[in-house]
Amino acid sequence: MRKILLPLIALCLMATTALAATSKDTFVFESYGTVRSLDPACAYDVVSHQRIMNIYESLIFFDGSATDKFVPVLATEVPTMENGGISDGGRTYTFKIRKGVKFHDGSELTPEDVAYSIKRHMICDQEGGPMWMMLEALVGVSTTRENNKPIPGIFEKIDKAVEVKGDTVVLHLPKPFPPLLAVMAYSYGGVVMDKEWSIANGCWDGDIRNAAKFNNPAFGAEPLHKIANGTGPFRMLKWEPSKEFIFERFDGYWGEKPALKTGIARYNKEWSSRKLALQNGDADRVMLDTQYLEEVEHMDGVTVTSVPQLSVSGALFCQNINPVGNPSIGSGKLDGEGIPTDFFSDIHVRRAFLHCFDSKMYAEDVWSNKVIMPSSPNAKGLPYQIDVPTYEFDMEKAAAEMKQAFGGKVWDKGFKMVITHNTGNAQREAAAHMLAENVMSLNPKFEIEVRNVDWKDYTVAYRKFMYPIFIIGWGADFPDPDNFLFTFMGSKGVYGKYMAYKNEECDRLLKEGRFEIDPAKRQKIYERIQNMWYEDAPGCMIYQKIDNFAYRSNVKGFVPHPMFDQEWENLSRIHKD
Amino acid sequence: MTSYILRRLIFLVFVLFGVSVLIFGLLMTFSPERRAAAYVTTPQQAENIPKLVEQYGLNKPFHVQYVRWVKEVAEGNLGWSLVAARPVAEAFWNYFPTTLELNLFASPLVIIVGIWLGTLSGVNRDTWLDHTTRIGAIIGWSLPTFLFALVLLMVFYGYFDLFQPGIISDKISLWVANNPDEFTRYTGMYSVDGILNGRLDVTLNAISHLVLPVLTQVIVVVALLMRVMRSGMIEEMNKDYVITAQAKGADSKTIYNKHAKRNAMIPVITVAGQLVALSMEGSIAVEVVFGRQGMGWWLAESATQLDMPVLMSVCMFIGVVFVLSNLIIDIMYAYIDPRIRLQ
Repeated sequence: MRKILLPLIALCLMATTALAATSKDTFVFESYGTVRSLDPACAYDVVSHQRIMNIYESLIFFDGSATDKFVPVLATEVPTMENGGISDGGRTYTFKIRKGVKFHDGSELTPEDVAYSIKRHMICDQEGGPMWMMLEALVGVSTTRENNKPIPGIFEKIDKAVEVKGDTVVLHLPKPFPPLLAVMAYSYGGVVMDKEWSIANGCWDGDIRNAAKFNNPAFGAEPLHKIANGTGPFRMLKWEPSKEFIFERFDGYWGEKPALKTGIARYNKEWSSRKLALQNGDADRVMLDTQYLEEVEHMDGVTVTSVPQLSVSGALFCQNINPVGNPSIGSGKLDGEGIPTDFFSDIHVRRAFLHCFDSKMYAEDVWSNKVIMPSSPNAKGLPYQIDVPTYEFDMEKAAAEMKQAFGGKVWDKGFKMVITHNTGNAQREAAAHMLAENVMSLNPKFEIEVRNVDWKDYTVAYRKFMYPIFIIGWGADFPDPDNFLFTFMGSKGVYGKYMAYKNEECDRLLKEGRFEIDPAKRQKIYERIQNMWYEDAPGCMIYQKIDNFAYRSNVKGFVPHPMFDQEWENLSRIHKD
Repeated sequence: MTSYILRRLIFLVFVLFGVSVLIFGLLMTFSPERRAAAYVTTPQQAENIPKLVEQYGLNKPFHVQYVRWVKEVAEGNLGWSLVAARPVAEAFWNYFPTTLELNLFASPLVIIVGIWLGTLSGVNRDTWLDHTTRIGAIIGWSLPTFLFALVLLMVFYGYFDLFQPGIISDKISLWVANNPDEFTRYTGMYSVDGILNGRLDVTLNAISHLVLPVLTQVIVVVALLMRVMRSGMIEEMNKDYVITAQAKGADSKTIYNKHAKRNAMIPVITVAGQLVALSMEGSIAVEVVFGRQGMGWWLAESATQLDMPVLMSVCMFIGVVFVLSNLIIDIMYAYIDPRIRLQ
C-alpha cells in the first residue's frame, strides 16, 4: 500500500505545483456572482451583463470613466445635436452603423441586425426584466402588457419606433428622453445580435404580427439563455453555471486585438479561499468585500483600486405603515406601547431621527472613512449632483424636534418600534443600531428594537408597508438623476411609493426633468429636487458604496467606472506585464 | 429474500410520497410573494413580484400546486433551478459526480481507517494508544468541519502553495474546453474520466484537488465509526467465547480478526451505511470551503435562496438514497450474521 501511496502523493504534489499561477495571456477572476441569463433582453444583473458585454457590443459605450460621455462602438459616431444624430428636439436619434464587422459565427453586421435587435429586446420584455427603460424611451410606456396580456397595438408601436434608413438606424421617440444614450451604452437595449442566427435559435421571427408569441418568455426559457453570438472581442468558450465561465479571444474582431487570449470567471464563495488564490497568483483578481479590505491592502504583489459606485443606501421613513399583523409598530397607537401608522408623517419626528444619525462617526467606525456620505439620493458622480444641507448630529436639536412632534404627545407618552435591516448587511445593521441607540438616549420612554430579516422576505415586506423604517440601497440602471431621484422621491417611484412620500411639486419636477433636453433647465430642476430632500426630510441617506478592486500588480488596463461594480470586468482592456 | 427486497422497494414509493408532501407543505408555509421573491435579485425587480405570483400560479391552493408539480415530475420536468441557472435534472447530473467523486475517495478511507483505528483502540484498551486515538477522535468529531477545512487550506494552500482548491486546474479545464473531441466526460468525474481517456495528468490533477477535501471528510467522519468499532470490540472481547478461546491458548490475532472483529462489525455496518448515505448529499462545508460545486453546495445554496424545485428534488433523492442504503445494510446484516439470515 505504501509503495503505491507515496509515489501517488508525490505525483499529485507535482500536478498541483506545476499548474499553479496563471499564464500571461490568461486572466482569472474569482467571484461569487452567478449568471442569470445570457439573453441580452432578459439579463438584469451585473454578473450577466459582464458576460454579455464582453461577447456582444452596443452601438456606443461609456468614454473611460465618464458617465455622460460616450464613444462609438458599432455606430461610427455618437449622435449629438451638433452632428445631426439627435434631431427633432430630441425625438429622433440616428446611428450610422459600422461596416466590416463580423459576428462570431462569421456573418457580417448590417443595420438590419441592429434594428432587429432593438425591436426584439423590447418585444421580449420579460417580467422583471430591464426592458422598461427602452420601452419608456421608445414607446412611452414601461411595459408591453396589461393584466398579463399584450397592450393592443404595442408591438406595432415598437416596430415604427425603429427604422432602417440606408446604412443608418433611426430611433423615433414619442418624447425627448435625455438618458437614452446612457441606457443604450449598457446591455439593456443597445446590444446587437445577428438577426438570422437569432431567428434560427428561436427568437422573434421578424414578423411583427407574430411578436406576441415571443413576448415574456418564462424564467429560464429565454431563447438565448445559454448561447451567445456577438461581435465582441471575446466569444464564449464554456459556461458551467455556478462553476466557471470561460471567454476566448475572437480572432475575427474588427477592433484592436485584446492582449488576453483567455478570460476565466470562476465561482468561489469562500473568502479565505479567494484570498489565498489572489495571494498565490492563481487568481488575477478576486471579489473583495469591504470588511476584508484590510487583509488585502498590504498584500505583496496586489494592487487595490477604490472606485465610488453609483449606489446609495438610505434609512427610509414610511409615512403610512400597514397596521395589519405588524410587529414593528407595537400597539399601533401613540400610547407609549407603539407608534401610530402615520408616525413618520410628522416632519418633526423625521427631523429628530435625522439629527440622531452621527454620519461622521458612522463613516469612521463602520467604513474606516472609505465611503462617501451622500446628502441626497442623487449619488456623487451623477450629472447635476450638488451637495445639499444635511441634518447635523445634534441631540439637543433632536430632542427639540421630538418635543414638537404630534403636539408634544410623542415626548410625553414615548413610543416603541422596530427598525429593520436585511440580514448579513453589517453596514446597514450598524446604521440601524446607531440610529436606535441615539434616539433612545433622548428619552427613557423611547424604545427601539433592531431586527434583521432575510433579504427575500425584506423585499416582500417593505412593499407591504410593514416597516416604519426600511434600510435599502439602489444601484444605477443608467447614470442619470432620474433613475435615483424618481426612485426615492417620486410618489410612484420604487421606494417613494413605499415610503408613502408625496410632494406634488416634486412629482411635477421629476416629470419635467425626465423629458427636458436643455441641460441648463435640467440642472435647475434637479437642484431644486435635491434641496427638497433636505426640506422634506423623507429619509436618511446613510452611505454611497465604494467598491475595492483587488488585482495582482502585474495586471494593467483597469478603467474604473462608477456604473460597473466589482462583478464587472472589461477583458479587452486588460493586459499582464 | 427477494420478496423482502421487493416489499422494501414498494415501501420506497410511499416514503417518497410522504417526503414530497412534507417538503411541499413546508415550502407552502412561505407566502406566495415570498416564493416569488426567490426570482428577484435586485430592488428593481421587486416591483414585479405580484405578476410573478400570477405567472407561476403561486397563489393557487396547495393541492393544485402539488398535483401540477407531480404531473410535471412524471413528465420528467423537475423544474428550473435558480441557483444552477438551468433545469434541475440537468444540474443534478452536473453536481452529482462532484459529490460522488469526493465520496468515492473518502468513504472507503473512512471505513478502513475507522475500523482499523477502532479495533486498535478496543484491543489495546486503556493504553496510551487507546487514549491518543480517542482524544484524536473526540477532536475530529467536535471540531466544526468548516474550521478544520479552513485550517488545512491555510496550511497547505496558504503556506506551502499546494493542493489548490477547486475541482481541476485552469490549465486542464481550458484544455478540456478546447478539445471536446479528445476528452469525453464519461462520468463527470475528472479522476475517473482521465483514466478512461488515457490522460493520467488529468487524473492526477483531479486527485491533487481532492486531497484536502478527502482528508477533511475522513478526519471529521472517521471518529464516529472508530468509536462504534471500539465499543463493539470491547464488548466482544469480554464475551465468554473470546475468554474461552484465550484460555485455550488460541492465537490473539485469530481471536480478534476472525471472531471478535466480525461480530463487532454489525453495528459498524449500520453506522457506516448511514454515513455513506449522509455523505451523498455532500459535506456542505467541505464543498463550500474547497470550492467544489457538488450536491452539498447546491443544497445549501438552494435552501438559502428558497430554490423550491431543487429542494424538492434533492430531498427526494436523499430519501431514495436512505431507503436504498438501509436495504443494503439489511442485506449485509444477513450476510454477516447467520442468525439474521435464518430469521
